[in-house]
Amino acid sequence: MKTKKNILFGLYDDEQDLLKAVKVSNERGLKIMDVYSPFPIHGLDPLLGLKESRLHIAGFIFGTLGALTGFLFMSWVFKIDWPNVFGGKPLWPIPAFIPVTFELTVLFAGVGMVVTYFIINGLSMKAETEVLHDRISDDKFCIAFDVTGNASDNASTFESFLNETGATYVETKEMSDL
Amino acid sequence: MNQFTFEGKTKTMLLGGIVLGVVSMLLSYFMGGEIANTRFWSNFLHNSLFFLGIAFMAMFAMSVWITAWSGWFVMGKRVFEAISMFTGVGLLLMLIIAIGNYAGFHHLYHWNDLEAVAHDKVLQGKSPFLNRNSYMIFTVLFGGMWWWMTMKIRKDSVDEDKNGRFGDFKHMFRQRTWAAAFLAISGYTSAIVIWLWLMSVDAHWYSTLYAWYVGASWWVTMIAFSILIIIYLKSKGGLPNLNEDVIHDLGKFLFGFSIFWTYLWFSQYMLIWYGNVGEETSYFWTRAHGYKFLFRLILVLNFPLPFLVLMKNSNKRKMGTLIFTSIVVIIGHWLDFFLMVKPGVRQTAEHLLHASGEHEAAGHEVVEHTIPFLSGFSLPGFLEIGTFIGFLSLFLYVVFASLAKADLEPSHDPFIEEAKHHHV
Repeated sequence: MKTKKNILFGLYDDEQDLLKAVKVSNERGLKIMDVYSPFPIHGLDPLLGLKESRLHIAGFIFGTLGALTGFLFMSWVFKIDWPNVFGGKPLWPIPAFIPVTFELTVLFAGVGMVVTYFIINGLSMKAETEVLHDRISDDKFCIAFDVTGNASDNASTFESFLNETGATYVETKEMSDL
Repeated sequence: MNQFTFEGKTKTMLLGGIVLGVVSMLLSYFMGGEIANTRFWSNFLHNSLFFLGIAFMAMFAMSVWITAWSGWFVMGKRVFEAISMFTGVGLLLMLIIAIGNYAGFHHLYHWNDLEAVAHDKVLQGKSPFLNRNSYMIFTVLFGGMWWWMTMKIRKDSVDEDKNGRFGDFKHMFRQRTWAAAFLAISGYTSAIVIWLWLMSVDAHWYSTLYAWYVGASWWVTMIAFSILIIIYLKSKGGLPNLNEDVIHDLGKFLFGFSIFWTYLWFSQYMLIWYGNVGEETSYFWTRAHGYKFLFRLILVLNFPLPFLVLMKNSNKRKMGTLIFTSIVVIIGHWLDFFLMVKPGVRQTAEHLLHASGEHEAAGHEVVEHTIPFLSGFSLPGFLEIGTFIGFLSLFLYVVFASLAKADLEPSHDPFIEEAKHHHV
């Protein structure tokens, strides 16, 4: 059971307003919990100090695994388990294995990355996610602060920051999922 | 620095390189030996084609990007324009070879040996296309067309700096028209001249994939050169507004098209290997047996190396890594062209030597089962490297001279702001 959090968030009409606001918050040293947007915003990641995703490392590992699986399996079948001559080719026809090896590399890397992503983010068919505001998946851009247990003047700093930087809607919500 | 000045040490160095190239070429011409003449001319063909293709691809790439409304490359546009300016010089070099077909300077092409064609059913069948006249006509006509359109775009682009105004799209639309026309034309014409210039050194052999394969090789090398030139200009303080993300994009191109080249290489190899038809396999049989080392080295340099080095996102943004990979890839594709040109030319030359010899028995269909080592053919010797440096210097000389003729930043291009703020 996750603990409940108090989230203070503001909605912006335009992603440029949001970018400016994030810059201001960085200058003032306000700690943003998260930013929500209907689409990826150019230049946001470095401002939030997000590190490069490590998902592609998983992709590389799964891809290597797929390449090895395909290549070694075919090698075992055609060279050791059931050696047969096809079209006068050698028993171990490496060029003929390459397309299949390639396909399995792509398959393993693709599926592996999706599965990794789902597991890391706790996504499953039964997962239910509370949403801060319906329109952050539509046309609003959101900055959220965690104000759980904060003194009320701290929350008001965040609130005045949101109002100053042009948020069109500000609300505090109790969330258990974020 | 918005104006690149081409003088001093760089100029002297490049001139020195050209002199070195000329000396190497003279040495290979007068070295003697029964095959020396062919060594000189095959080096000439190899390097002319290599650099002409790079220039052609710069124009092709610009046309693709202009037609696709892309803004990201605009800040480095002058670099691509400058590279494309070598097309004229490269065509002149190819013209020398085309004239040489008539004048008998060289024996690069088997189909040009009328004596041999008279006894050769296959070459007779191909002779409506593979002959001196079509070589000359297509070189002049298609090459001339490329050069003309390249000049049109270049002139218009330089004119835009002077006469362009903000909010005036006249120049852009004019360039788009030329670019679109060039795309439509160059696709077909490049394939035809590649068959003539390069594929016909193995006159009996053909592959429908070949033009793509050569084009991919040129494209990758062109991207590598543009990366190196842009980094060089930036180190001199030029192109201050060209940001890291543009170079990152070029790195992606280098990465992606290295894979594309390998895909084509493998597709060509795989189909021929699997089909196992004698007249098709001869191309790879020769290369895989007589040129074992190069055959493998090319694959390693042009695929696993750029693939593994540039795979990581951040590696495409590190200048040192990019410089290293670009140089490796340039060498790799130069060797690739070496291996496309030399074995075929060598066979033709040896065939001629045997044909002029005493016994002209039923020796036409003899397949040689060993290909002995021959310097300058099996592996590039010092003279080949010298010739390469010569052509490279000539190429860079033309590129830098063209760069110095215009502002580095195309200040009135409608996409200039987008390019300035390009972000990936």
